[in-house]
Amino acid sequence: MSLEPRPERWSGSIVALHWAGAAIILCLLAVGWAMVDGDLDSATTFDLYQWHKAFGFVALGLTALRLAARPVSPAPSEAPGWEGKLASVAQALLYILTLALILSGWLVVSASPLPVPTRFFDLFVIPNIAQPDPSLFAAAVLAHRLAAWGIALLIALHVAGALKHHFVDGDDVLTRMLPRRRASSEPRP
Amino acid sequence: MTTQARLSYRAQAARAALAVGVLAHAATPAPAADNWRIDPARTHIAFAIDAVGYPRTHGEFRQFAGRISVDFQHPEMSKVSFHVQSQSVDVGSTSFDDYLRSPAFLNSARFPSIDFTSGSITKIDDHTVRVAGDLTLLGVTRPLSVQVAVQREDGRLAFLAKTTIDRLEFGMNSGFPLVSRDVELVISSAAVQL
Repeated sequence: MSLEPRPERWSGSIVALHWAGAAIILCLLAVGWAMVDGDLDSATTFDLYQWHKAFGFVALGLTALRLAARPVSPAPSEAPGWEGKLASVAQALLYILTLALILSGWLVVSASPLPVPTRFFDLFVIPNIAQPDPSLFAAAVLAHRLAAWGIALLIALHVAGALKHHFVDGDDVLTRMLPRRRASSEPRP
Repeated sequence: MTTQARLSYRAQAARAALAVGVLAHAATPAPAADNWRIDPARTHIAFAIDAVGYPRTHGEFRQFAGRISVDFQHPEMSKVSFHVQSQSVDVGSTSFDDYLRSPAFLNSARFPSIDFTSGSITKIDDHTVRVAGDLTLLGVTRPLSVQVAVQREDGRLAFLAKTTIDRLEFGMNSGFPLVSRDVELVISSAAVQL
Protein backbone atom coordinates (compact mmCIF):
# COMPACT_ATOMS: atom_id res chain seq x y z
CA MET A 1 0.00 0.00 0.00
CA SER A 2 1.30 3.45 -0.89
CA LEU A 3 2.45 5.59 2.01
CA GLU A 4 1.73 8.77 0.08
CA PRO A 5 -1.00 10.91 1.66
CA ARG A 6 -4.47 10.31 0.22
CA PRO A 7 -5.90 13.20 -1.82
CA GLU A 8 -8.96 15.02 -0.49
CA ARG A 9 -10.99 14.36 -3.62
CA TRP A 10 -11.01 12.27 -6.76
CA SER A 11 -8.99 13.57 -9.70
CA GLY A 12 -10.75 15.47 -12.48
CA SER A 13 -10.26 12.64 -14.97
CA ILE A 14 -11.76 10.03 -12.60
CA VAL A 15 -14.70 12.35 -11.85
CA ALA A 16 -15.36 12.92 -15.56
CA LEU A 17 -15.08 9.20 -16.37
CA HIS A 18 -17.30 8.31 -13.39
CA TRP A 19 -20.19 10.56 -14.43
CA ALA A 20 -19.88 9.84 -18.16
CA GLY A 21 -19.88 6.10 -17.40
CA ALA A 22 -22.79 6.48 -14.98
CA ALA A 23 -24.88 8.36 -17.56
CA ILE A 24 -24.19 5.84 -20.31
CA ILE A 25 -24.81 2.79 -18.13
CA LEU A 26 -28.11 4.20 -16.86
CA CYS A 27 -29.17 4.98 -20.46
CA LEU A 28 -28.09 1.47 -21.55
CA LEU A 29 -30.17 -0.09 -18.76
CA ALA A 30 -33.21 2.01 -19.71
CA VAL A 31 -32.85 1.33 -23.44
CA GLY A 32 -32.16 -2.36 -22.77
CA TRP A 33 -35.38 -2.61 -20.80
CA ALA A 34 -37.36 -0.68 -23.45
CA MET A 35 -36.12 -2.74 -26.39
CA VAL A 36 -36.78 -6.09 -24.68
CA ASP A 37 -39.94 -5.42 -22.67
CA GLY A 38 -41.17 -2.09 -23.99
CA ASP A 39 -43.73 -3.45 -26.48
CA LEU A 40 -42.37 -1.16 -29.20
CA ASP A 41 -42.69 -1.64 -32.96
CA SER A 42 -40.13 -3.67 -34.87
CA ALA A 43 -38.32 -0.74 -36.54
CA THR A 44 -37.90 1.22 -33.30
CA THR A 45 -36.77 -1.94 -31.52
CA PHE A 46 -34.16 -2.60 -34.23
CA ASP A 47 -32.82 0.96 -33.96
CA LEU A 48 -32.66 0.73 -30.15
CA TYR A 49 -30.70 -2.53 -30.42
CA GLN A 50 -28.15 -0.86 -32.69
CA TRP A 51 -27.89 2.14 -30.35
CA HIS A 52 -27.54 -0.19 -27.34
CA LYS A 53 -24.75 -2.16 -29.01
CA ALA A 54 -22.76 0.92 -30.12
CA PHE A 55 -23.04 2.66 -26.74
CA GLY A 56 -22.17 -0.62 -24.99
CA PHE A 57 -18.77 -0.34 -26.62
CA VAL A 58 -18.52 3.32 -25.58
CA ALA A 59 -19.12 2.09 -22.01
CA LEU A 60 -16.39 -0.52 -22.49
CA GLY A 61 -13.94 2.19 -23.62
CA LEU A 62 -14.82 4.45 -20.68
CA THR A 63 -14.47 1.58 -18.19
CA ALA A 64 -11.09 0.61 -19.65
CA LEU A 65 -9.91 4.24 -19.43
CA ARG A 66 -11.08 4.46 -15.83
CA LEU A 67 -9.34 1.24 -14.88
CA ALA A 68 -6.18 2.59 -16.52
CA ALA A 69 -6.54 5.93 -14.67
CA ARG A 70 -7.06 4.41 -11.22
CA PRO A 71 -3.41 3.42 -10.54
CA VAL A 72 -2.18 6.93 -11.42
CA SER A 73 -5.02 8.72 -9.62
CA PRO A 74 -4.93 7.77 -5.92
CA ALA A 75 -8.32 7.33 -4.24
CA PRO A 76 -9.32 9.56 -1.33
CA SER A 77 -9.39 7.79 2.04
CA GLU A 78 -12.33 5.46 2.48
CA ALA A 79 -14.89 5.78 5.26
CA PRO A 80 -13.91 3.95 8.47
CA GLY A 81 -15.39 0.65 9.59
CA TRP A 82 -17.78 -1.70 7.85
CA GLU A 83 -19.34 1.02 5.70
CA GLY A 84 -16.00 1.78 4.06
CA LYS A 85 -15.40 -1.90 3.42
CA LEU A 86 -18.92 -2.35 2.01
CA ALA A 87 -18.37 0.67 -0.24
CA SER A 88 -15.05 -0.75 -1.47
CA VAL A 89 -16.65 -4.13 -2.20
CA ALA A 90 -19.61 -2.49 -3.99
CA GLN A 91 -17.24 -0.35 -6.08
CA ALA A 92 -15.08 -3.35 -7.01
CA LEU A 93 -18.22 -5.32 -7.90
CA LEU A 94 -19.42 -2.40 -10.03
CA TYR A 95 -16.24 -2.63 -12.10
CA ILE A 96 -16.50 -6.42 -12.36
CA LEU A 97 -20.20 -6.40 -13.24
CA THR A 98 -19.77 -3.55 -15.74
CA LEU A 99 -17.17 -5.61 -17.57
CA ALA A 100 -19.30 -8.79 -17.25
CA LEU A 101 -22.31 -6.91 -18.57
CA ILE A 102 -20.48 -5.55 -21.60
CA LEU A 103 -18.65 -8.79 -22.41
CA SER A 104 -21.84 -10.89 -22.06
CA GLY A 105 -23.58 -8.39 -24.37
CA TRP A 106 -20.75 -8.78 -26.89
CA LEU A 107 -21.21 -12.55 -26.62
CA VAL A 108 -24.98 -12.21 -27.17
CA VAL A 109 -24.54 -10.36 -30.47
CA SER A 110 -21.71 -12.68 -31.53
CA ALA A 111 -23.42 -16.01 -30.78
CA SER A 112 -26.86 -14.92 -31.98
CA PRO A 113 -28.37 -17.25 -34.59
CA LEU A 114 -29.22 -14.02 -36.42
CA PRO A 115 -25.95 -12.10 -36.47
CA VAL A 116 -26.64 -8.43 -37.10
CA PRO A 117 -23.36 -6.55 -37.66
CA THR A 118 -22.45 -4.21 -34.79
CA ARG A 119 -21.62 -0.89 -36.41
CA PHE A 120 -19.79 1.60 -34.23
CA PHE A 121 -21.73 4.71 -35.33
CA ASP A 122 -21.25 3.84 -39.01
CA LEU A 123 -17.48 4.19 -38.57
CA PHE A 124 -16.53 0.51 -38.59
CA VAL A 125 -17.92 -2.93 -37.80
CA ILE A 126 -16.96 -4.42 -34.44
CA PRO A 127 -15.82 -8.03 -34.87
CA ASN A 128 -17.65 -10.91 -33.22
CA ILE A 129 -15.99 -12.94 -30.47
CA ALA A 130 -17.83 -16.22 -31.14
CA GLN A 131 -19.58 -18.14 -33.88
CA PRO A 132 -23.40 -18.28 -34.00
CA ASP A 133 -24.43 -20.90 -31.45
CA PRO A 134 -27.99 -21.20 -30.04
CA SER A 135 -26.86 -22.72 -26.71
CA LEU A 136 -24.12 -20.16 -26.15
CA PHE A 137 -26.54 -17.43 -27.22
CA ALA A 138 -29.15 -18.52 -24.65
CA ALA A 139 -26.50 -18.68 -21.90
CA ALA A 140 -25.12 -15.24 -22.86
CA VAL A 141 -28.62 -13.71 -22.87
CA LEU A 142 -29.22 -15.10 -19.35
CA ALA A 143 -25.83 -13.83 -18.13
CA HIS A 144 -26.49 -10.39 -19.67
CA ARG A 145 -29.91 -10.16 -17.96
CA LEU A 146 -28.53 -11.29 -14.59
CA ALA A 147 -25.60 -8.87 -14.84
CA ALA A 148 -28.03 -6.05 -15.72
CA TRP A 149 -30.18 -6.78 -12.69
CA GLY A 150 -27.05 -7.13 -10.55
CA ILE A 151 -25.62 -3.81 -11.66
CA ALA A 152 -28.99 -2.08 -11.19
CA LEU A 153 -29.07 -3.32 -7.58
CA LEU A 154 -25.44 -2.30 -7.01
CA ILE A 155 -26.08 1.16 -8.45
CA ALA A 156 -29.03 1.52 -6.07
CA LEU A 157 -26.77 0.51 -3.13
CA HIS A 158 -23.99 2.82 -4.36
CA VAL A 159 -26.35 5.81 -4.72
CA ALA A 160 -28.04 5.10 -1.38
CA GLY A 161 -24.63 5.01 0.32
CA ALA A 162 -23.53 8.28 -1.32
CA LEU A 163 -26.77 10.02 -0.32
CA LYS A 164 -26.53 8.67 3.23
CA HIS A 165 -23.00 10.09 3.52
CA HIS A 166 -24.16 13.45 2.19
CA PHE A 167 -27.44 13.95 4.00
CA VAL A 168 -27.10 11.82 7.16
CA ASP A 169 -23.39 11.85 7.95
CA GLY A 170 -22.76 15.27 6.42
CA ASP A 171 -19.32 14.23 5.13
CA ASP A 172 -17.65 14.82 1.75
CA VAL A 173 -17.87 11.30 0.29
CA LEU A 174 -20.34 12.49 -2.38
CA THR A 175 -18.94 15.98 -2.99
CA ARG A 176 -15.41 14.73 -3.60
CA MET A 177 -16.80 12.86 -6.65
CA LEU A 178 -18.59 15.97 -7.94
CA PRO A 179 -16.99 18.31 -10.49
CA ARG A 180 -14.82 20.91 -8.70
CA ARG A 181 -16.54 24.26 -8.35
CA ARG A 182 -13.92 26.69 -9.57
CA ALA A 183 -15.20 29.79 -7.73
CA SER A 184 -15.10 28.25 -4.24
CA SER A 185 -12.31 25.70 -4.41
CA GLU A 186 -9.86 27.51 -6.66
CA PRO A 187 -9.94 31.14 -5.67
CA ARG A 188 -8.33 33.41 -8.18
CA PRO A 189 -5.18 35.20 -6.99
CA MET B 1 -63.57 0.81 -42.28
CA THR B 2 -60.84 -1.68 -43.10
CA THR B 3 -59.57 -2.21 -46.62
CA GLN B 4 -61.16 -5.63 -46.63
CA ALA B 5 -64.52 -4.31 -45.44
CA ARG B 6 -64.37 -1.49 -48.00
CA LEU B 7 -63.66 -3.97 -50.76
CA SER B 8 -66.54 -6.15 -49.58
CA TYR B 9 -68.94 -3.19 -49.52
CA ARG B 10 -67.95 -2.05 -52.97
CA ALA B 11 -68.23 -5.59 -54.23
CA GLN B 12 -71.85 -5.74 -53.12
CA ALA B 13 -72.74 -2.25 -54.40
CA ALA B 14 -71.38 -2.89 -57.86
CA ARG B 15 -72.17 -6.56 -58.11
CA ALA B 16 -73.33 -6.49 -61.76
CA ALA B 17 -70.08 -5.03 -62.98
CA LEU B 18 -67.72 -6.95 -60.81
CA ALA B 19 -65.04 -9.52 -61.14
CA VAL B 20 -63.57 -11.66 -63.81
CA GLY B 21 -66.23 -13.33 -65.90
CA VAL B 22 -69.16 -11.15 -64.81
CA LEU B 23 -68.91 -8.88 -67.82
CA ALA B 24 -69.99 -11.78 -70.01
CA HIS B 25 -73.50 -10.76 -69.01
CA ALA B 26 -73.07 -7.04 -69.69
CA ALA B 27 -74.80 -5.34 -72.61
CA THR B 28 -71.49 -4.46 -74.24
CA PRO B 29 -69.00 -7.22 -73.61
CA ALA B 30 -65.44 -6.13 -73.05
CA PRO B 31 -62.98 -7.11 -75.73
CA ALA B 32 -60.95 -10.21 -75.02
CA ALA B 33 -57.60 -9.91 -73.23
CA ASP B 34 -57.61 -6.25 -72.22
CA ASN B 35 -54.32 -4.91 -70.97
CA TRP B 36 -54.23 -3.14 -67.65
CA ARG B 37 -51.55 -1.04 -66.06
CA ILE B 38 -50.79 -1.36 -62.35
CA ASP B 39 -51.47 1.93 -60.56
CA PRO B 40 -48.45 2.34 -58.23
CA ALA B 41 -50.26 4.83 -55.98
CA ARG B 42 -52.95 2.24 -55.22
CA THR B 43 -50.67 -0.75 -54.98
CA HIS B 44 -49.11 -2.06 -51.79
CA ILE B 45 -46.87 -5.08 -51.66
CA ALA B 46 -46.65 -5.73 -47.95
CA PHE B 47 -45.17 -8.49 -45.83
CA ALA B 48 -45.05 -9.51 -42.19
CA ILE B 49 -42.75 -11.89 -40.36
CA ASP B 50 -42.53 -13.06 -36.75
CA ALA B 51 -39.48 -13.72 -34.60
CA VAL B 52 -39.03 -15.15 -31.12
CA GLY B 53 -38.70 -12.42 -28.50
CA TYR B 54 -39.08 -9.70 -31.08
CA PRO B 55 -42.08 -7.71 -32.32
CA ARG B 56 -43.72 -8.73 -35.59
CA THR B 57 -41.98 -6.95 -38.48
CA HIS B 58 -44.24 -5.27 -41.03
CA GLY B 59 -42.83 -3.92 -44.26
CA GLU B 60 -43.52 -2.94 -47.85
CA PHE B 61 -41.72 -2.88 -51.15
CA ARG B 62 -41.99 0.62 -52.61
CA GLN B 63 -40.79 0.06 -56.17
CA PHE B 64 -42.31 -2.44 -58.57
CA ALA B 65 -43.79 -2.85 -62.00
CA GLY B 66 -46.70 -4.98 -63.01
CA ARG B 67 -48.80 -5.93 -65.96
CA ILE B 68 -52.22 -7.49 -66.08
CA SER B 69 -53.95 -8.88 -69.11
CA VAL B 70 -57.57 -9.81 -68.48
CA ASP B 71 -59.84 -11.87 -70.71
CA PHE B 72 -63.26 -11.55 -69.16
CA GLN B 73 -64.76 -14.13 -71.52
CA HIS B 74 -62.04 -16.66 -70.79
CA PRO B 75 -60.55 -15.92 -67.38
CA GLU B 76 -58.08 -18.77 -67.79
CA MET B 77 -56.47 -16.81 -70.63
CA SER B 78 -55.72 -13.87 -68.33
CA LYS B 79 -52.16 -13.13 -67.22
CA VAL B 80 -50.52 -11.21 -64.44
CA SER B 81 -46.89 -10.45 -63.69
CA PHE B 82 -45.15 -8.46 -60.97
CA HIS B 83 -41.53 -7.37 -60.77
CA VAL B 84 -40.54 -5.99 -57.38
CA GLN B 85 -37.25 -4.22 -56.68
CA SER B 86 -35.87 -5.90 -53.59
CA GLN B 87 -33.80 -2.87 -52.59
CA SER B 88 -37.01 -0.86 -52.17
CA VAL B 89 -37.85 -2.72 -48.94
CA ASP B 90 -39.16 -0.39 -46.26
CA VAL B 91 -39.81 -1.46 -42.67
CA GLY B 92 -39.64 2.05 -41.18
CA SER B 93 -35.97 2.11 -40.17
CA THR B 94 -33.08 2.95 -42.49
CA SER B 95 -30.65 0.70 -40.65
CA PHE B 96 -33.16 -2.16 -40.58
CA ASP B 97 -33.83 -1.68 -44.32
CA ASP B 98 -30.07 -1.84 -44.98
CA TYR B 99 -29.82 -5.05 -43.00
CA LEU B 100 -32.72 -6.63 -44.89
CA ARG B 101 -31.02 -5.69 -48.21
CA SER B 102 -27.83 -7.45 -47.10
CA PRO B 103 -26.97 -11.04 -48.10
CA ALA B 104 -28.56 -12.21 -44.81
CA PHE B 105 -32.02 -11.71 -46.30
CA LEU B 106 -32.84 -10.14 -49.69
CA ASN B 107 -29.27 -9.92 -51.05
CA SER B 108 -30.42 -7.01 -53.21
CA ALA B 109 -27.03 -6.41 -54.83
CA ARG B 110 -27.07 -9.91 -56.32
CA PHE B 111 -30.82 -10.41 -56.69
CA PRO B 112 -32.33 -7.01 -57.49
CA SER B 113 -35.73 -8.35 -58.57
CA ILE B 114 -38.44 -10.48 -56.99
CA ASP B 115 -40.73 -11.74 -59.73
CA PHE B 116 -44.12 -13.35 -59.98
CA THR B 117 -45.52 -14.59 -63.27
CA SER B 118 -48.88 -16.28 -63.50
CA GLY B 119 -49.29 -19.63 -65.20
CA SER B 120 -53.00 -20.31 -64.86
CA ILE B 121 -55.96 -18.35 -63.56
CA THR B 122 -59.12 -20.11 -62.41
CA LYS B 123 -62.39 -18.44 -61.60
CA ILE B 124 -63.73 -19.50 -58.19
CA ASP B 125 -66.77 -17.24 -58.01
CA ASP B 126 -67.88 -13.84 -59.27
CA HIS B 127 -65.45 -12.05 -56.98
CA THR B 128 -62.62 -14.49 -56.60
CA VAL B 129 -60.00 -16.10 -58.79
CA ARG B 130 -57.12 -18.42 -58.05
CA VAL B 131 -53.85 -17.33 -59.62
CA ALA B 132 -51.19 -20.01 -59.90
CA GLY B 133 -47.73 -19.10 -61.08
CA ASP B 134 -44.05 -18.93 -60.29
CA LEU B 135 -42.40 -16.78 -57.65
CA THR B 136 -38.70 -16.09 -58.06
CA LEU B 137 -36.87 -14.90 -54.95
CA LEU B 138 -33.10 -14.99 -54.43
CA GLY B 139 -32.85 -16.56 -57.88
CA VAL B 140 -34.94 -19.56 -56.79
CA THR B 141 -38.24 -20.20 -58.57
CA ARG B 142 -41.06 -21.99 -56.74
CA PRO B 143 -44.74 -22.43 -57.62
CA LEU B 144 -47.15 -20.16 -55.79
CA SER B 145 -50.94 -20.29 -55.84
CA VAL B 146 -52.86 -17.32 -54.50
CA GLN B 147 -56.56 -16.65 -54.03
CA VAL B 148 -57.33 -13.13 -55.25
CA ALA B 149 -60.40 -11.03 -54.50
CA VAL B 150 -61.26 -8.97 -57.58
CA GLN B 151 -63.59 -6.08 -58.23
CA ARG B 152 -64.15 -3.80 -61.19
CA GLU B 153 -65.47 -0.27 -61.02
CA ASP B 154 -65.03 2.99 -62.97
CA GLY B 155 -62.58 1.49 -65.44
CA ARG B 156 -60.43 0.16 -62.65
CA LEU B 157 -59.71 -3.33 -61.39
CA ALA B 158 -58.96 -3.79 -57.71
CA PHE B 159 -57.22 -6.85 -56.29
CA LEU B 160 -56.53 -8.15 -52.84
CA ALA B 161 -54.39 -11.21 -52.30
CA LYS B 162 -53.11 -12.76 -49.08
CA THR B 163 -50.78 -15.69 -48.87
CA THR B 164 -47.89 -17.12 -46.91
CA ILE B 165 -44.59 -18.26 -48.34
CA ASP B 166 -41.89 -20.43 -46.78
CA ARG B 167 -38.69 -18.40 -47.04
CA LEU B 168 -36.56 -21.51 -46.46
CA GLU B 169 -37.77 -22.85 -49.83
CA PHE B 170 -35.98 -19.92 -51.45
CA GLY B 171 -32.77 -20.39 -49.48
CA MET B 172 -33.47 -17.46 -47.15
CA ASN B 173 -32.33 -19.26 -44.00
CA SER B 174 -30.94 -16.46 -41.82
CA GLY B 175 -32.00 -16.54 -38.21
CA PHE B 176 -34.19 -19.64 -38.50
CA PRO B 177 -35.72 -20.80 -36.16
CA LEU B 178 -35.38 -17.56 -34.18
CA VAL B 179 -36.96 -15.79 -37.17
CA SER B 180 -40.03 -17.56 -38.55
CA ARG B 181 -39.84 -19.45 -41.84
CA ASP B 182 -43.32 -18.17 -42.79
CA VAL B 183 -43.59 -14.77 -44.44
CA GLU B 184 -47.10 -13.40 -44.78
CA LEU B 185 -47.72 -11.47 -47.99
CA VAL B 186 -50.58 -9.02 -48.51
CA ILE B 187 -50.83 -7.54 -51.99
CA SER B 188 -53.47 -4.96 -52.70
CA SER B 189 -53.51 -3.34 -56.10
CA ALA B 190 -55.56 -1.40 -58.56
CA ALA B 191 -55.07 -1.45 -62.31
CA VAL B 192 -56.32 0.97 -64.97
CA GLN B 193 -57.17 -0.07 -68.50
CA LEU B 194 -54.59 0.79 -71.16
